[in-house]
Amino acid sequence: MVQSRSLINESGKRSDGRIIDELREVRIKVGIIRNADGSALIEFGKNKIIAAVYGPREVHPKHMAQSDRCVIRCRYHMSPFSTDTRKSPAPSRRETEISKVIREALEPALILEDYPRAAIDVFIEVLQADGGSRCAGITAASVALADAGINMRDMVSACAAGKVDDKIVIDINDTEDKEGKADMPVAYMPNLKKITLLQLDGELSPTEFNTCLDEAIRGCLKVYEIQRSSLMEKYFGNEKGLKE
Amino acid sequence: MQEVKRKYVIPGDVVAEGNFKPLVNVFKNGNSIVATRIGITESNKDGTKVIPLSGIYFPRTNDIVIGKILDHSSLSWSVDINSCFSAHLPAQDVFGRDFSPAHDDMGRQLASGDVIVARIAMFDRTRDPILTIQDKDLGKIPTGELLKISATRVPRLIGKRGSMIQTIEQATATRITIGQNGIIVVSGRDKEGINLAINAIHIVEIEAHTSNLTQRIKQLLNVPESDIENDDTQINHENNETVMHDDKVISNDNGKDTEMMNSNGTK
Amino acid sequence: MSLSKKSTIIVENLRKKQMRESISAGKRLDERSLDETRSLEIELDVIKKANGSAWVKLGNTEVVAGVKVETGEPFEGLENSGALIITAEVLPIASPHIEPGPPDEETIELARVVDRGVRESEMLDLSKLVLIPGKIVYTIFVDCSVLNVDGNLLDATSYAVVSALASCKLPVFEIKDDKVIDTGKTQEPPITTIPVSVTTVKIGDNLLLDPNAEEEACMDARLTITTNSKGSIVAMQKGLKGYFTLDEVKGTADKARIKGEEIRLKLREWIGTGK
Repeated sequence: MVQSRSLINESGKRSDGRIIDELREVRIKVGIIRNADGSALIEFGKNKIIAAVYGPREVHPKHMAQSDRCVIRCRYHMSPFSTDTRKSPAPSRRETEISKVIREALEPALILEDYPRAAIDVFIEVLQADGGSRCAGITAASVALADAGINMRDMVSACAAGKVDDKIVIDINDTEDKEGKADMPVAYMPNLKKITLLQLDGELSPTEFNTCLDEAIRGCLKVYEIQRSSLMEKYFGNEKGLKE
Repeated sequence: MQEVKRKYVIPGDVVAEGNFKPLVNVFKNGNSIVATRIGITESNKDGTKVIPLSGIYFPRTNDIVIGKILDHSSLSWSVDINSCFSAHLPAQDVFGRDFSPAHDDMGRQLASGDVIVARIAMFDRTRDPILTIQDKDLGKIPTGELLKISATRVPRLIGKRGSMIQTIEQATATRITIGQNGIIVVSGRDKEGINLAINAIHIVEIEAHTSNLTQRIKQLLNVPESDIENDDTQINHENNETVMHDDKVISNDNGKDTEMMNSNGTK
Repeated sequence: MSLSKKSTIIVENLRKKQMRESISAGKRLDERSLDETRSLEIELDVIKKANGSAWVKLGNTEVVAGVKVETGEPFEGLENSGALIITAEVLPIASPHIEPGPPDEETIELARVVDRGVRESEMLDLSKLVLIPGKIVYTIFVDCSVLNVDGNLLDATSYAVVSALASCKLPVFEIKDDKVIDTGKTQEPPITTIPVSVTTVKIGDNLLLDPNAEEEACMDARLTITTNSKGSIVAMQKGLKGYFTLDEVKGTADKARIKGEEIRLKLREWIGTGK
């Protein structure tokens, strides 16, 4: 990527006023879809995304079922009004690829052997898109999976880091994604310390790559704290600890 | 062995460090016991587990469930048991051994939409659950108010040796049939009593993780103080017993089946 | 998204019996009277990237509608009108009975019936949305995403479309040297009336307004009637294999008019204009 204008000003502020290691505002609301087994609405900057989980449930068609484990299916979809120019409702190649990488980012956290012959469906609907919608989608989906009570080894938290004006910054926004030099979305299991999604658009030197990865993981850990408090809020409300 | 503090956890949280035996909804990662579900940790001499607060019902052999007849083939009914698999009720279970698809009209016995209380006779990883209605108090439920709660709250609704559900039944003059799958039928003569019971059940569902719940339910239902016995247990009765209406307790040996359906560290 | 065959919700027979008994006594299982609609809540401008949007909750049925305004060629035969396109999708997040895939006949009917009410009422004066007659006109998309299904998608989706359209801000486009320029300014949409869709279903011999999912699973027939601000009927759709008698249809039309006006007042409150 070639960057044509500076996106970080002299006082270190980015195009949306953040400093380099600052996340956009993130809010997660658990249990937003009544019919779903688990769900979450995430607002990540201007992203507004709903993730809903159904399952484990019967597989249709039956021949898709696997005898020793659960099948996980994932659909990432953008509503027609979610983008600056209207998007056709039919799934695009981009959405198909993102659905695949999101499924593969979530799968390592799920204990699928516990539900042989069943299926788990993860549906991610982007109502409003901003930069980083796949990371926000993974983050919301992980909360929805926990809300659905599916056995998980860990949560999955996602955040991108990238290169803007020769600086490594976390949580790339739309402008930085389009005009910056590199964008690297990462999904991470925060307790097991394992990376489950890694993509990169753009050029990074070996040193920059290492910093970028470290910064992305720092971002993931910040995201994890928000996931955690949203689940605690839903399940335990104001009761912060247990009475002995 | 050191004490493990009860705490609220989400998947990935370390429940305990050290030499603990992982039971259900936890796994062993190095020296740590890690939670796989949202819930409350519990440890005793048998090991460490998480009592989950969300999740669908996963069938276990000998569980009593309340199901809905979907349709039937020539040999069995297919039954929705609010789970990841639909169950099968063999025609022979209802008609006996000389069942003949040519002569016996299955639709007359049980039709689509009928509600039954049944026991899971057989279930394992390789096939769908098989039901039976051939025990006492099993079979079609003709009337009653149907409600659905999270299956994870059923043990709390039953309470220690059935204490919670008996409290509700006695105070509201109702009969409450509970399926381990979270489906409940409340019946009684008096509409007011039924509504009171439904209300109490919903409160138990929402506040299952809190302490002194039985006492609060008793206050809600105006049960005299003298009747309040000390019962501040949390939802910790999993795998203990399955209670049907009134005092009929159907004992349940599902301990041996739990291993296959919960993540239990052995993997 | 399609509502697949396996989707047919089977209501438990004991519930069905209770429902029938309760309805013949004039009360529904959710405590409503037969003519009572569920609570309606509308949040406007939920999608900042859209020119107008509304998140509608009708009981537990939830729908988001978003308006996107572009320019394009007019439809054939309608050279002097702006183009209005209304779509609907029942998202797979919305119910356990929906499989991802192309829209099935029910979803297509949903979009078309909602479209018919808005189009035939001439809610938007499309003649005011022409830039170069016969060549370039405003193209207005109203896309609907159903988020949670609990019956009466027709009315909920219609309310979402109407609220999103009535509250939208149209960009002001100008033509300079045969090219469309977005001036960056906005204008009020040319709204002439507020169409309101009211759906009645028949269960046995009883007529109920605004059915929830369980009632829909027991209904024999459905009639959706859209009225405009003057109280005239502008669109209708009868659905399902049951029937209505002549008297039932006339009674339903009267009720749709009265209930329609009540809901119109509510919609106006939410939209916040006297349009």
